[in-house]
Amino acid sequence: MRTYAVEIAGVRRELPIVQVGEDVAVALLNLLGDTELTEAVAEEMARRLPEGAEVLVTPEVKAVPLAHALSVKTGLPYVVARKTAKPYMQNPVSREVVSITTGKPQLLVLDGADVSKIRGKKVVIVDDVVSTGSTLKGLRELIESVGGEVIGVLAVFTEGTPRDDVIALGHLPLFKPEE
Amino acid sequence: MTTLETYPITVGNVTRHVPLVETLPGMRIPLVEFLGDTELVEEAARLLAEKVPEEAELLFSLECSPVPLVHRLAQLTELPYVVARKRRRAYMEDPLIQEVPSLTLGASDTLWLDRRWAERIMNRKVTLVMDVVSSGGTMKALDRLVQRAGGSVVGRLAVFQQGKREFNGEVTYLYEIPIL
Repeated sequence: MRTYAVEIAGVRRELPIVQVGEDVAVALLNLLGDTELTEAVAEEMARRLPEGAEVLVTPEVKAVPLAHALSVKTGLPYVVARKTAKPYMQNPVSREVVSITTGKPQLLVLDGADVSKIRGKKVVIVDDVVSTGSTLKGLRELIESVGGEVIGVLAVFTEGTPRDDVIALGHLPLFKPEE
Repeated sequence: MTTLETYPITVGNVTRHVPLVETLPGMRIPLVEFLGDTELVEEAARLLAEKVPEEAELLFSLECSPVPLVHRLAQLTELPYVVARKRRRAYMEDPLIQEVPSLTLGASDTLWLDRRWAERIMNRKVTLVMDVVSSGGTMKALDRLVQRAGGSVVGRLAVFQQGKREFNGEVTYLYEIPIL
């Protein structure tokens, strides 16, 4: 198996390179199940947290342990944007984004009960990998549509094209699938 | 927007007044939400850590709401953890696929476990971790996944048991929450 070596917040990992489309493979970061890396990343992100942040917002599900760990370290609450509306949600607010990598539409949903935690607040988005930015764009629009102000984006990695609108701890290239 | 009736639930030193939701006509349940509640998760993980069997080598859970809980529990017990997914991902190779008979409004779930993760379960003594157990269907699906991956289940933990079910005897839980 091909891997890509990274060092993030002082922790080394060999990320497996996996094919995700006809012409593209990515180095797969998985914070789910990696307690050590998650905690190290949270520690580093806490140091880089934009000043004035009042609430963290994260898309489900891979960045959820990170958002929790960052919440513990910063004392800030966090809200999870879900990928499906749940029957128990009160007045959910949603937005559809189209992933450029997969071409598939993806829903982002905020429970109405969480909207009050975002409205009028300075929000920092927390994610694991920002690639094309389609999820990020959708999340930003969703937060702004309920009256939150996005003051920054924290990610473990940017991927593909480097971008300056994200505070990232590292950068991943895209790969060609194995012949 | 209607004002929701609430119900008090307590985990250790943390009390939350959670909404009562009607899942079926005439049947209301207190809706506990661990996602986004840092304090509740920290307290639950602290208490649950004492219940993890000494022989356990790995924790196993599923996305999404138990994820912060199992993360913290893994850290406290210094055990690795694995999470089953609810959707197939493009990168999964030869995943184990397990149907879950779910009570959540008749919708049935499917759990996906990438082969790479299944390999971590092989020959391991595994403790299953959930936030809320109701019928036990999800717990049974996790159980089955562990068996299929070649591991053995040495414990089944939950923060809450909702109502009284047959499966109770096999699940160690901290608190009961009623069906009203």
